[in-house]
Amino acid sequence: MKFLVKNLFLVIIITAFFGCSDDENVDETKPTISINYTEGFPKPCIELVRGETYNFRAQVTDNVELASYSLDIHHNFDHHTHDDQEANCDLLPKKQAVNPLIYLENFTIEGGLTSYEINIAVTLPNDIDTGDYHCAYSVTDVTGWQSRTSIDIKIVE
Amino acid sequence: MFYKTLGLWLFICFNIAVFGQNNFQIKGFVGNATTSKPIQGATITSKSNLYALSNEAGEFVMYNVPEGTYTLTISHVAYASKTITVNVNSKTNKVSILLDTKTTNLDEIVVKGKTKEEIEHETPMVSELVSKEFLLTNRENSLMQTLSKIPGVGTVNIGSGQSKPIIRGLGFNRVSVVQNGIKHEAQQWGNDHGLEIDQYGIENISIIKGAASLLYGSDAIAGVVDIQPAKIPLLNSFTGEVNLLAESNNDLLGVSVGLQSRKEKWYYRTRLTYRDYADYKVPTDKINYESYVFELHNNQLRNTAGFEANAAFSVGYIGENFKTETFFSNVNAKNGFFANAHGLEVRTSTIDYDSDDRDIDLPYHKVNHFKIVNNSTYYANAHTFHIEAGFQNNHREEHSEPVPHGFMPKPDNSKERVFYKNTISLNVRDVYKPNENHDIVFGINTEYQNNNIGGWGFLIPEYNRFTAGIFAFDHFDIYENLHFQGGLRYDFGTVKTKSYTDWFQTTVNNPDGSKSNIYLQRAQNKTLNFNSVSGSVGLSYTAPKTTYKLNVGKSFRIPLANELASDGVNYHMYRFERGNLDLDPEASYQIDAEIDYVSSKFSFGISPFVNFFENFIYLNPTPNFYETLQIYEYTQTKVFRYGGELNLNYNILKNLNLNTSVEYVYSKQTTGPKKNFTIPFSPPLSGLISASYQINKDILFFKNLQFFADYRITAKQNDIVPPEEKTKGYQLLNLSVLSNLNVLNAQKPAQLRFKVNNVFNKEYFNHTSFYRLIDVPEPGRNISISLTIPF
Repeated sequence: MKFLVKNLFLVIIITAFFGCSDDENVDETKPTISINYTEGFPKPCIELVRGETYNFRAQVTDNVELASYSLDIHHNFDHHTHDDQEANCDLLPKKQAVNPLIYLENFTIEGGLTSYEINIAVTLPNDIDTGDYHCAYSVTDVTGWQSRTSIDIKIVE
Repeated sequence: MFYKTLGLWLFICFNIAVFGQNNFQIKGFVGNATTSKPIQGATITSKSNLYALSNEAGEFVMYNVPEGTYTLTISHVAYASKTITVNVNSKTNKVSILLDTKTTNLDEIVVKGKTKEEIEHETPMVSELVSKEFLLTNRENSLMQTLSKIPGVGTVNIGSGQSKPIIRGLGFNRVSVVQNGIKHEAQQWGNDHGLEIDQYGIENISIIKGAASLLYGSDAIAGVVDIQPAKIPLLNSFTGEVNLLAESNNDLLGVSVGLQSRKEKWYYRTRLTYRDYADYKVPTDKINYESYVFELHNNQLRNTAGFEANAAFSVGYIGENFKTETFFSNVNAKNGFFANAHGLEVRTSTIDYDSDDRDIDLPYHKVNHFKIVNNSTYYANAHTFHIEAGFQNNHREEHSEPVPHGFMPKPDNSKERVFYKNTISLNVRDVYKPNENHDIVFGINTEYQNNNIGGWGFLIPEYNRFTAGIFAFDHFDIYENLHFQGGLRYDFGTVKTKSYTDWFQTTVNNPDGSKSNIYLQRAQNKTLNFNSVSGSVGLSYTAPKTTYKLNVGKSFRIPLANELASDGVNYHMYRFERGNLDLDPEASYQIDAEIDYVSSKFSFGISPFVNFFENFIYLNPTPNFYETLQIYEYTQTKVFRYGGELNLNYNILKNLNLNTSVEYVYSKQTTGPKKNFTIPFSPPLSGLISASYQINKDILFFKNLQFFADYRITAKQNDIVPPEEKTKGYQLLNLSVLSNLNVLNAQKPAQLRFKVNNVFNKEYFNHTSFYRLIDVPEPGRNISISLTIPF
């Protein structure tokens, strides 16, 4: 038993020696992204009308510096994915895509901000397929951390 | 029913024991005529089909011998055969046979009187020898999981049976896996599949920790897992083994059968293995990943079932001054991936995954690895020539439900990625022994790889790669106890990437504001040349109880095609990966030391290392996007690492052994965009306390009962780099019982093992597991029973 204690003692000393690290501060915090405020857009299950222009708005923050964001709107006619919001939308029957809306745009946030409101005006063309769509926001900070959020929406005539 | 069966068993066993009493026994000893030391593995045969094999102590027993006179022939590869006559008339008959060494003996030259352990002690590189016994006692679901009990060795896992080696925090292409002298070449860079090697039928593995490029070439930066050929079967022998395995967690059933035989000069071995498993269980009923919640049916990680079917055959010949063996093997495996989120992509599906826990639905991967390897050795006085030649074909496919992504329309099949890689290798080595004190080795390694791709997802281009290395080193015995080993190596490599253009059109913004639809080119026709000088010097000092080692080495790694020329969306990881054609070969400098003290009661070992990378290649998450996906770029940075392992072993009582080991690695990037961060997949501080207890008395038909308890304590890992998550520490208890069974054959007892992993069904996360990224815990409690029947 005495031996066991001695052994453990040795292990602890060596562990403590190795365990001490002279870490310089690194950024370990992801940026945040949210549509959960009054102007946040789109809200889950919302119906958007073709031909209209909408302002897609989300609030992003970071502890150090925000870098870029992106917005991806793609169809979910095959029900391949779902959003991360609390509400569950009723999906329309599955169907084949003919001319779906594909919106893929990236933007940078200039000026070393730690808080920013995304505000992108998107005009929905008149000739796109109506139905279930999926809208995904993404934001990065200067370190390379990323946060995402996605919302199920519908595009109607 | 159980009691009835047990009763029947006991009845049969009892009767066998009773029958034994009516016959006589021959007990004997086989020794060396000059040294009187015991000879292990001598065969004792008679014309009337009596048979025995001498054990480590040179002893043998022949049971159930009827009264009479017998002529016994005692033979061994290294000794001249002898014939004796025995008169069996009393209960026990004792004989003693001394054999003379053969004058010209092949195996004598190879071994030179040194055991593998002695050679290992005299080599300055820090290494561990893994025996068949260790593999049998610690067998886990995959070879690498079995080896992860060794301090400093870990795994990158995906699912219950797939894993790749990590040595001191480095894995993938920074660890070389060598089987029968030929480097295993598959898609090592991928982190969602395992090593395509059958873990049954392996007898010896040498694990080198530290710089080993001098001997093993590119990639042997962190170390080498060297799976060596099994021992040559004994003269006039036919032996075999059946391994059976059943597991509770993933309802695994496995069977492996191995046979080997030798007449005089020709010998062969063969092995067949089949394993089939269901979805594995985790100790939780839901997975919380970011803001998604995945409910689990019956605690099962849906769609992680799979199977593995392996076949191997080899034929060998031992001549007067040469030996040769050719190995053929094929490993075929298929397994599903967790259906709700493969990698980072969250998926929904109409597939009814929960209807059957044994079927393999989309997404899944399948792989076939075929190998032919020849090992030949030619002895010419002071020179010994070793030739290793190999051909390997690796065919791997990843299938997933086709979905449109970005500008890519919905593909018409499930074939997302196909890799088809052929590798031809040739190694030639001359071991020259001018006198007693020197072993000078000259060698050449060459390898040609041809990698083809298919499927609708593009990640790495097709490429051809040729590498050649030339090396020389000397193992010099300065004194009997002081050994020097040092050498130099030069390598040349050329990689030719082939162009690739998307099969669909992408809408791009032109500088004048207009838009056009084009087929984007992802990879170009490029020829890239690399060369590198590496080497190492080291000393080892072997005192009676203590071994000291010091080794300094430079290792290198030629950049992979994906690091050089990736340019595509990795759908699983939901990111855009971009290669860099300007990457230099990685250069790593390492100092290794080891002190090993062994006495009969107590042993102690410590093996620290310090490592510096001039240009560590790593996939860096940038703050930028490509088509709304985050861009990850292959980048080179300086990295500083240190760490080591500590091992204490104490025989508290004759039958009670306690072992403690600790492993630790610290890594830090000292330049580049992630300065002061660690490197990906850094294993946390971890310790293992093992106790084993052996009962000498036989209980019923159980012989050599051994009890094992392994308690692992792993610290939290807060040292992370984007996009990793911090991982909490955990403690884990595994228990096992191992016993020989004296039922079928008293001379070759069967071995039974009963093992419980994760006894408390604890929910914990492994920082180096692929599923860690999506917050999937490690497997829950697993009860396994395995039976090894030799014959």
